[in-house]
Amino acid sequence: MAKGLKLALALGAVALLTATAAFAASDRGAASDTLVYGASADPSLLDPSLTSDGESLRPTGQIFDSLVGFKKGTSTVVPSLATKWTTSKNQLAWTFKLRKGVQFSDGTPFNAAAVCANFTRWYSFPAPLQSDALSYYWQTVFGGFAKPAPGGLGPDKSLYKGCKAHGQYSVSILLRRPSSSFLAAIGLPNFGIASPTALKKYEADAGTVDATGVFHPTGTFATQHPIGTGPYMLQSWTPGNKMVLVANPKYWGPKPKIKRIIYIPIGDPSARLQALQSGEIQAYDNVAPQDFATIKGNKKFKLYLRPPTSLGYVGINQSLPPMNNPLVRQAVAYGLNGAAVAKAFYGGVGTPATQFLPPSLAGFAKKGVPVFKYDPAKSIALLKQAGLTPPVKIDFWWPTSVSRPYMPDPQRNFEAFAASLNKAGFQVEAHSSPWRPDYRAGVQAGKAQLFLFGWNPDFIDPANYLNVHFGSKTAQFGFDNQALFTLLAKADAASNADARAALYQQASIQVMKQLPVIPYVWAAGAIVFDSSVKGFVPSPVGTVNEPMSSLSFG
Amino acid sequence: MLRFIVRRLLLLIPILIGLSILVFVWIRALPGSPAESLLGEHATPEAVAQIRHQYGLDEPVYVQYWAYLKTLASGDLGTSIASTRTVTYELEHRFPATIELALAAMIFAIGVGVPLGFLSAKRYRSGVDHAGLAASLIGISIPIFFLAIILKYIFSVRLGWLPSIGREDTLSEAEHPTNFYVLDGIITGNLGASWDAIRHLILPAIALGSIPLAIISRITRASVLDVQNEDYVRTARAKGLAPRTVDRRHVMRNALLPVTTIIGLQMGLLLSGAVLTETVFAIPGMGSWLKEAIFNRDYPVLQGGILFLAIVFVFVNLLVDITYALLNPRVRVS
Amino acid sequence: MSVAEIEAHELEGHPAAGGLWSDAWRRLRKNPGAIVGFVLVGLFVFVGIFAPWLAPHSPLDQDLSLIANGCCPGPSREHWFGVDELGRDEFSRVLYGARSSLVIGVVAVAVGMSVGLVLGAIAGYFGRYSDSIVMRLMDIMLAIPGLLLAIGVAAMLGPGRWQIMVAVGVASIPIFARLVRGSILAQRENDFVLAARSVGVPRRSILVSHILPNSMSPVIVAGTLALATAIIDVAGLTFLGLGAQDPSQPEWGAMLTNANNYLQNAPFLAIIPGLAIVISVLGFNLIGDGLREAIDPKLRSR
Repeated sequence: MAKGLKLALALGAVALLTATAAFAASDRGAASDTLVYGASADPSLLDPSLTSDGESLRPTGQIFDSLVGFKKGTSTVVPSLATKWTTSKNQLAWTFKLRKGVQFSDGTPFNAAAVCANFTRWYSFPAPLQSDALSYYWQTVFGGFAKPAPGGLGPDKSLYKGCKAHGQYSVSILLRRPSSSFLAAIGLPNFGIASPTALKKYEADAGTVDATGVFHPTGTFATQHPIGTGPYMLQSWTPGNKMVLVANPKYWGPKPKIKRIIYIPIGDPSARLQALQSGEIQAYDNVAPQDFATIKGNKKFKLYLRPPTSLGYVGINQSLPPMNNPLVRQAVAYGLNGAAVAKAFYGGVGTPATQFLPPSLAGFAKKGVPVFKYDPAKSIALLKQAGLTPPVKIDFWWPTSVSRPYMPDPQRNFEAFAASLNKAGFQVEAHSSPWRPDYRAGVQAGKAQLFLFGWNPDFIDPANYLNVHFGSKTAQFGFDNQALFTLLAKADAASNADARAALYQQASIQVMKQLPVIPYVWAAGAIVFDSSVKGFVPSPVGTVNEPMSSLSFG
Repeated sequence: MLRFIVRRLLLLIPILIGLSILVFVWIRALPGSPAESLLGEHATPEAVAQIRHQYGLDEPVYVQYWAYLKTLASGDLGTSIASTRTVTYELEHRFPATIELALAAMIFAIGVGVPLGFLSAKRYRSGVDHAGLAASLIGISIPIFFLAIILKYIFSVRLGWLPSIGREDTLSEAEHPTNFYVLDGIITGNLGASWDAIRHLILPAIALGSIPLAIISRITRASVLDVQNEDYVRTARAKGLAPRTVDRRHVMRNALLPVTTIIGLQMGLLLSGAVLTETVFAIPGMGSWLKEAIFNRDYPVLQGGILFLAIVFVFVNLLVDITYALLNPRVRVS
Repeated sequence: MSVAEIEAHELEGHPAAGGLWSDAWRRLRKNPGAIVGFVLVGLFVFVGIFAPWLAPHSPLDQDLSLIANGCCPGPSREHWFGVDELGRDEFSRVLYGARSSLVIGVVAVAVGMSVGLVLGAIAGYFGRYSDSIVMRLMDIMLAIPGLLLAIGVAAMLGPGRWQIMVAVGVASIPIFARLVRGSILAQRENDFVLAARSVGVPRRSILVSHILPNSMSPVIVAGTLALATAIIDVAGLTFLGLGAQDPSQPEWGAMLTNANNYLQNAPFLAIIPGLAIVISVLGFNLIGDGLREAIDPKLRSR
């Protein structure tokens, strides 16, 4: 019996292996109208006005259109739902001529009333939805709500004054003061126009917000019925499993050639690469730098590098001593081996950053910027000068379960920085927590003395870098410098391009003098597609402007 | 027999109550209590008090506990904070996933372990036997996630024979009436989908089943060795029965008794191992669900999901005990 | 935990029926598996204790220039096991990792054993009420699978190295408690116990000076096996993200977890710590096995 058993076992094993190998070869080419995309996480919600995370904006960018768009691969504003626009002489009113014959995917006609319904909705968000974690973009661009929550900005402080419909196809957005970045801002996917019928029917604003800023909707707009005018619409979403978008038959533009997009959340970065290699997915974003070589060496895949507009920095909360002492902040700047990290950890596409703005921006200061090279001796000297005895204890925060172009492996960056700071007269206390929900909430609430953070721009403009971070006092940086706030406000309002650039250069230099943060790398995000996918153009702002509707299998 | 079952069932009650208290207390001991989690950022003191009252958080603990028991009994397990679906919905999808994986792992462990153990016993002290013992010792010394990562790397990335993530092909549109993917394929007449599900189960089942495999093969070997020298076996052989018949009729049947007990005890191992295996292979089952719920502070999931799991676990243990008692009358008396 | 549980389950029905130490030692020495186990564990403990003298570099010294061209250079003369993603010598980190694992194993088992012994002794010797209460508590703990219990305790305590060790240790308490209780119950009616009682020796000192020492053998076996599982479970918990706040300290489980991201560039970064875990755990399992066979020949799996 034993012998027969052994034989049976052996045969069984051989049969199993042969069978699996036979089925293994990817017969995926057959489904040439479906693209499977490996996302790094599940989207939080499909309501773009209440999300700011890349994974949510990925699908919503395909479902909704905004009034204006951007030319592929650039940051030049082009028509989208609006075909023409003019501004009044005092720049306080922008009038948009709307595209005719556009329908939302539920059949509701797109018109001026729909536009105003959306703007009014955002302006009138109830108090819980005014949380920084939710309506972030409204607050950054416009600030202020009709009925502000206690402590929040009210109508008089808001950039937004009102929305006026002139007939069906003309709408004016009224502002309280001129803004040079307004037009680019409303092209953001976060200002995507949703069907007013759907907003009402599916109770888009109903729900509760918990202490970590997460919105739990009781309506189904953000989870099952995000109705927009875009090239795709939601077919189904099983959270944690997959999301399926299909081409929108009512789309006003050229019909997308890829009829179906499936998003699958794969949390582990190495698992995403493995899924790509085994043919289970055909694309994923935020390719880890150490995998660049592996992918480039394989003809089945094509790696796309975006322009290096991503910024990595070590943030400082000045309200937590001894960070309020500028000498200590300088000591930190001399104590970080940012250049070595930028050169070694970014797969060859990281440049050591000398200031907050990347070189490609108008406003990048070419001279006059203080330079901080890694110099532990100088760091120790500065600490002593500040009256402290090394080693000086500091809390350094870093996030887990996240990967960004500016910090592909936060733990790695943290360990390198902690080691360099420990040699420079500091004693680093490590604090880590998951990116969502704890880390971001904790950092934004001002709990971290030093923290790893960064910035992926929403649109390529110095305002989106400097004003967002240093335009007003934030708990995150504990930083209150009225002179800088005024300078930045002036720069944003300046209409003359040269004057604007000059003002932003001044501001950039100021930031490096005050050191609310210590920038260390300008990084390029990378996205990989199966070679059979044609027509992809990487955008300097990343996923928010990379429409899938222009892709096809070649 | 009936008395035995009734006695065990009655014993179950204090265990279940104890478990529910434990889960209740544990959740409130987690950093960041449910109260903090439900209140919004812009809440005024009045709103805070109102929310506390609304959720009964200002009641004494035993009242809260009673309310908790009542909601459990009514079957409303709440809504997951992370996924915004009801806990029941998640359970319906995730529970079958883990059961399928655990079953596959057990089939692997038993299917390979029992014959291996038997073989080792028959070839006592030979090279095969020593190799088998060594292999089983190594089997319980390998961290499951290490094995899982290696298996994935070799068979999925390098060789491309098997998929690396999930329960089914990413493009699959198969229907899932029961959420047991292999079964669903058979029910809906889509055998390709069943095969697809099986292919996705192979690597995780091997990783998860490695430890049970090692244990089962060792126990089988020891058991067969014990039984072989029993009087009734020697009698059977002396009677002139063919060795194969002796093996089948006497040795195997009796040797498998202790193995059955062990199988029941493996469940805990399988569930713990499932947490790691599901994470590596991105399988949306109970293991990865619980782990994420702890990280996300997903209280409804922890309250309803964990308790459900614990209850199922306890019941299955009971079933195993009863089965063993059925097979081995001596146990009932103890 | 659960593996030790199952092994302990085997021991439960057979309390040490007077296996004399010298007898047991003799049997142990003849067992080739146990000898291999002692060698492996000996190596592990030696490396753990003398790591600072054995390691050619500091495990924390980073050299980013080594990885400037990508991760990571493999084994070379300067760095026997290559360097990791921060330019640290992998060989030194593995040596210091042994230290870490040694501490982890010992602390976890110490926690589990001490609390488990006390509880088991109370249950076994002090009568029906304490027995019922303690055993019901143990039943409830055993109703939860080992790793999950450890995860639950770790979630309560928060992240951190010591918290994980305590969590893993707590999860092994029921095993020791049950073992000791079983052993005490079996010995309670022994002649010498009855004799001592009749002479008036207090219960507590009978427990401490007679019964407990005789219960030691299965406890030691369980302890060895629990040590093995503790090392594996801590690695698992680290993999799930419940690890230490300071990631630069060398620890095999953490090293294995980090290496996952570099699997395709530098597989040795995952294989080496993984093998180290397997080898040390194997050593403990071999010893535990050998001890079990040596102490009670009736139990031998021959």
